[in-house]
Amino acid sequence: MNRLERTIGSVLRSGTVASSSLFAVGLVMALTGYRDALAGVLLEAGLVILLATPATRVVVSVIEYVRERDWTFVVLTLTVLLALGGSIVAAYL
Amino acid sequence: MNPLNPVLALIIFGAGTIAGALGVALGLGGGIFLVPFLTLALGFPLKSAAAISLSTVIATSSAVSARRAGNQLINLRLGMVLEVATTAGSLLGGITAQYVAETALQRLFGVVSMAVAFAMIGRINRRNVIADPAADPGRLGGRFYEEESGGVVTYRVRRLPLALVASFVAGNVSSLLGIGGGIIKVPVLNAWCGMPLRAAAATSALMIGVTATGGAVIYYGHGDLRPLLAAPAVLGVQLGSWSGSRLAENTSVKWLKLLMAVLLAVVAVLMFLRSAR
Repeated sequence: MNRLERTIGSVLRSGTVASSSLFAVGLVMALTGYRDALAGVLLEAGLVILLATPATRVVVSVIEYVRERDWTFVVLTLTVLLALGGSIVAAYL
Repeated sequence: MNPLNPVLALIIFGAGTIAGALGVALGLGGGIFLVPFLTLALGFPLKSAAAISLSTVIATSSAVSARRAGNQLINLRLGMVLEVATTAGSLLGGITAQYVAETALQRLFGVVSMAVAFAMIGRINRRNVIADPAADPGRLGGRFYEEESGGVVTYRVRRLPLALVASFVAGNVSSLLGIGGGIIKVPVLNAWCGMPLRAAAATSALMIGVTATGGAVIYYGHGDLRPLLAAPAVLGVQLGSWSGSRLAENTSVKWLKLLMAVLLAVVAVLMFLRSAR
């Protein structure tokens, strides 16, 4: 297994574990009515981490391709990031 | 907007579990089952259902790909190339969602799914592999250990432009309908671009995370993606995808293809019915 694949695996794993844990705790708190405000914050954080995980995977790919000096794939992965940036802009238009 | 009570949370969780299990077994994501359920059975607005579904697509993609990283099924390089097309497609889909008539899109989707279902059945016994383990997979091809035949299989990627077009369309449909888009990419990669089904499904499963993020971010910004409703769906899908990957490992490729074809036909009919209302 190459290094990029390993790094991507751990990025995706951490993001999944973090967002799912926040969702689970936040959901139980929201349903039991225990500290509603905090529950809302936890759920929101879970969602943001969920959305950020694939984007982070692309960022680590860019870094790895720069290290390998594989410029074709640096351009390709940067283009993917650019499109994601476009979505963020479109989200608040 | 639906207030969340424990019963509704449990229903969404259960629907997510089933959708996740089926989705992973077929490499489709699960949104294809979740969106119709949320809109038709629970009466959610389509935008809200699509947004919730996209968040489960991201969760499935991340969880499944984290587990698969390293077993060579995911074609990372091809994935990165095709993601350029899927994310461009999902960005455009998210923006144009407001301007295109939904019924027209549903019909188009129905036609595409039906066509792919037939293509899948027509090629059910065909295997896109080169038996010689020393064969050159080319720049974008790959090789992996296949349990069924007990050997290393190699494949080349053919018709890259077609794969790019399919990926763009998949990204577009992903944003508009709240699905992963694997339903379009996987059959095309398998039937016309020379990829074995498992490699195509694994590579697509990685791509749909980034693709769905492009769409989900737009819904989130517009307030259509509510964490309180997304949480039970995501947790359900996580549970389902965990059991679904075991299902996939123990089912033969032929059955997976047949199941996918039947499923595509059902989705096509549902889409036509919905567009006629």
